[in-house]
Amino acid sequence: MRDAVSTDGLLVQEMSTGFGKTQVLHGVTLGVEPGETLVLFGPSGAGKTVLLRAIAGLDPNAVGRVFIAGRDVSMVGPERRGIGVAFQNFALYPHMSAMENIASPLHARKLPEAEIAEKVGRIARLLKIDHVLAQQPRALSNGQKQRTALARALVGAPKVLLMDDPLRNVDAKLRYEMRMELPRLLRQAGAASIYVTQDYREAMALGDRIAVLIEGHIVQLDAPEQVYAAPASVAVARLFGDPPLNLLPCTPKVTGDGLTVRLFGLDLALPMAAGIAGRDALLGLRPESIGILGAPAPGAARATLTAATPLHGKVVLLLRTPEGEEILASQVGQPPETGSTVWFRPAPETALLYDAASGLLTLHAGATTEEAA
Amino acid sequence: MSQVSGASAPLPRRPFLPRALPYLLSLPALLVCVGILIPFGTAVWYSLERYNLSMPYLRGFIGLRNYTGLFTDPDFWNTIRVSLTYTVSTVVLELLLGLGIALLLRERSRLNNIISIALLMPLMTAPAIAALMWKLMTNPGFGVLSWLISLLGVTNFKWASSPHTAMFTVVLVDIWVYTPFMMILLLAGLRSLPQQPFEAARLDGVNAGFVFLRITLPMLTPFLFTAVLFRTLDSIQQFDIIYAMTQGGPGNSLLVFQVRAYLEFFSYTNVGRSAAILMVLWAITYVLSQVFVRQWTKLRERAHGVA
Amino acid sequence: MAWRDGVLRALRGIALTLVVIFFLFPIFWIFLMSFETNETVLRVPPTLTPHLTLENYVALLSGQLVTATGVMNITFLHNLWNSVLLSTCSVAVALILGVPAAYAFARFRFRGREDIAFTLLSFRFAPPLLVLLPLTLYFQDIGLSNTYVGLIWIYQLICLPLILWIVRGYFEDASPDIEFAYRVDGHSWWRAFTRIAIPLAGPGIAAAGLLSFIFAWNNFVFALVLASADKQPVTVGALAFVTASGIQYGIIAAAIVLSVLPTLALALYAQRWLVEGLSLGAVKG
Repeated sequence: MRDAVSTDGLLVQEMSTGFGKTQVLHGVTLGVEPGETLVLFGPSGAGKTVLLRAIAGLDPNAVGRVFIAGRDVSMVGPERRGIGVAFQNFALYPHMSAMENIASPLHARKLPEAEIAEKVGRIARLLKIDHVLAQQPRALSNGQKQRTALARALVGAPKVLLMDDPLRNVDAKLRYEMRMELPRLLRQAGAASIYVTQDYREAMALGDRIAVLIEGHIVQLDAPEQVYAAPASVAVARLFGDPPLNLLPCTPKVTGDGLTVRLFGLDLALPMAAGIAGRDALLGLRPESIGILGAPAPGAARATLTAATPLHGKVVLLLRTPEGEEILASQVGQPPETGSTVWFRPAPETALLYDAASGLLTLHAGATTEEAA
Repeated sequence: MSQVSGASAPLPRRPFLPRALPYLLSLPALLVCVGILIPFGTAVWYSLERYNLSMPYLRGFIGLRNYTGLFTDPDFWNTIRVSLTYTVSTVVLELLLGLGIALLLRERSRLNNIISIALLMPLMTAPAIAALMWKLMTNPGFGVLSWLISLLGVTNFKWASSPHTAMFTVVLVDIWVYTPFMMILLLAGLRSLPQQPFEAARLDGVNAGFVFLRITLPMLTPFLFTAVLFRTLDSIQQFDIIYAMTQGGPGNSLLVFQVRAYLEFFSYTNVGRSAAILMVLWAITYVLSQVFVRQWTKLRERAHGVA
Repeated sequence: MAWRDGVLRALRGIALTLVVIFFLFPIFWIFLMSFETNETVLRVPPTLTPHLTLENYVALLSGQLVTATGVMNITFLHNLWNSVLLSTCSVAVALILGVPAAYAFARFRFRGREDIAFTLLSFRFAPPLLVLLPLTLYFQDIGLSNTYVGLIWIYQLICLPLILWIVRGYFEDASPDIEFAYRVDGHSWWRAFTRIAIPLAGPGIAAAGLLSFIFAWNNFVFALVLASADKQPVTVGALAFVTASGIQYGIIAAAIVLSVLPTLALALYAQRWLVEGLSLGAVKG
């Protein structure tokens, strides 16, 4: 994580908040460049919405600094921070038309009517809702409501854009459409954007970087491919991937200048640093990295295929070893018959090794400390 | 591009205005109420004093003697007896009548809606005025009720003029005014009940009495409980109807708590004893209102969760 | 069995008719009585065929009654005016004080919130004489004796708890996100409160206001204890009317009708919110 960040965008420092005796955020720090989209990813209850509220200045209990475009706005009310927010349940003003909803930020700045009409028209055309501008929110479909909310957030050309899972309440087809449109929109807007989601695929599609928030702490802040390839902890690994990562208990041993792990009667050589040898560990194997063979081969173990389920264009296979262990594998294409015996070969090159006690990822050999979470 | 290092000045405290806002908003209301708590405080104090306006030189602190005096005073026990009779009669009868009417009006139909709105009218009249109305109606000379029961051969019914029938009369007025309250509360409760148990019972061919006793009543219990508490709290403090009707008479047959306290204060100028009577009443209502608020909160959550 | 259903329906019809007669007849009878002269009123058996006259209302509204023994001044109109003044001002003050406080209770978590809220609600259930009787002793000392201001202040005991509890519920039901969105747009907190929060809670505020008005209007004991003759509202005034000698019953009936007409009319107008308001939001209307 970078220590020094340019302040043209958004900088959040040591943001903590809670209510009563419960602390929800613990000293969260992150920075977003102008034009960058940072995805805030985490399970429900992690504090994502709370963090957005705190950044927007809507949380009276929040402690911490917020800088927007070089200005310290920590003590400033939400109305003067220059941000746009898209809420999960749209939060449109029910007693105003869509046009008035979108125009609200411009009215607040007391712009002349003609300019307001022009700006609203432009963004409405961009988001394809110009034909419903005169209607009230209750007459709009969910997709139109969400686009109105987005238009309202974007119309004032804010420096910072906060989006709280805006696609959650929208039907699946529209969600996919928007998922492709949004990056273009956000790039055009040029704001420093934070996008909250619980869907890891959405996170990977939309984010330039992903910040994983678990129980009020940022546990990883990386490019999407990095988070997928090397989740910083067991918790992150479980969240990223569908079907989820296989996590197998093992005890690595030092052999030569690397580690070996014995699983399923196989010796797997791992390219990790030796520090974890002798301790309890969890080996993470992605289902797609497990090769399925019809016949015995070196480096492959035997198992029974107990179930095969189609998922997102792949097939997820549930394998059961003779010792009773269960592993998930996935592949594209026709699976073998359920109940038949297969041989599976785990690929140790993409395997991940986690310290069972701390849940943290063990480093690759030769990795620099900077990659540590 | 300027750079900001990670470590920086001490973290800012939460800004003042948002923190103080809730207090600022409720401050005026609170001040008004503080102004009302002061008389309450002095009432507590008076109840601990021997204080009679016609004998101000005797005024002094006597601790709990007003209270012990009350509980050895047969008049006070009469007050308790009269109040209990009044409260129990009105609440029970209003509950039964209100439940009955609510059951009759249960189906949502235009006629039923019109009827239930019409039945609200007595509730909207001032109880003191309602007492006046009934006073006129029971007037032995021209009152329509006196005339009606004379047709049944009953003459010389004294209504509110006789200690034997005064309680009956005021209870009747109370029922007239407040049964609609029970009715709309229970009607709203009935209509908010889920339909499935009743449909299932109908499919099973269960008879109506069973449905009522084993399905309707149990589900309605929270509403019944709330309604009874609400009305009990009001009934035990009843003043308007009784005062407007007979000022507490005839004799001491209608001297409920607040009427008694009022007369102690204005007729006998005994501030101390009046305050003590009111404190006893307050203690009863305080306990009941605690129970009520808990019950009401539960009902509110249920109502607004469904809506 | 069809005939059994028929019998049940008939019974239900009879029962409802009796109920409606019981609850509406007194109002109806007093209403009729108000259009009768003293002679026809006192006639037994009472007649339903009216010799209708407006003289009772004329007497009340003009303030003068011509009797066989001379002309008498009636101040009932003044009572009516007092009722209007006290009720509307009390409700207005209660709304101004109560709506922001209800908002604070609904939106913010702060120390002592539930305790304060319960204390304010407990005013609804506490015996009013407990506050009123001491006040008679020193209302004079603080210069509020027999003033409208003093009465309006005391009437808050009736109106404030009701408004607080009904309006708080409406604010709680509205999503705070809408107000947040308005503030993020660039509007101040005050504008968010007045342009968004209050309009969205409008029905609740109206219901609470109407209900408070009805209760303030119907109040008896507050005015009985603290108001002198020239400040008395109709509830106390009507009683004084009845006990005064030489008053004719037709006029009393007319006075009663004028006393209840406003609240009956308001109740009809606000019927949708009555159930919710009366039960303090425990059931939906």
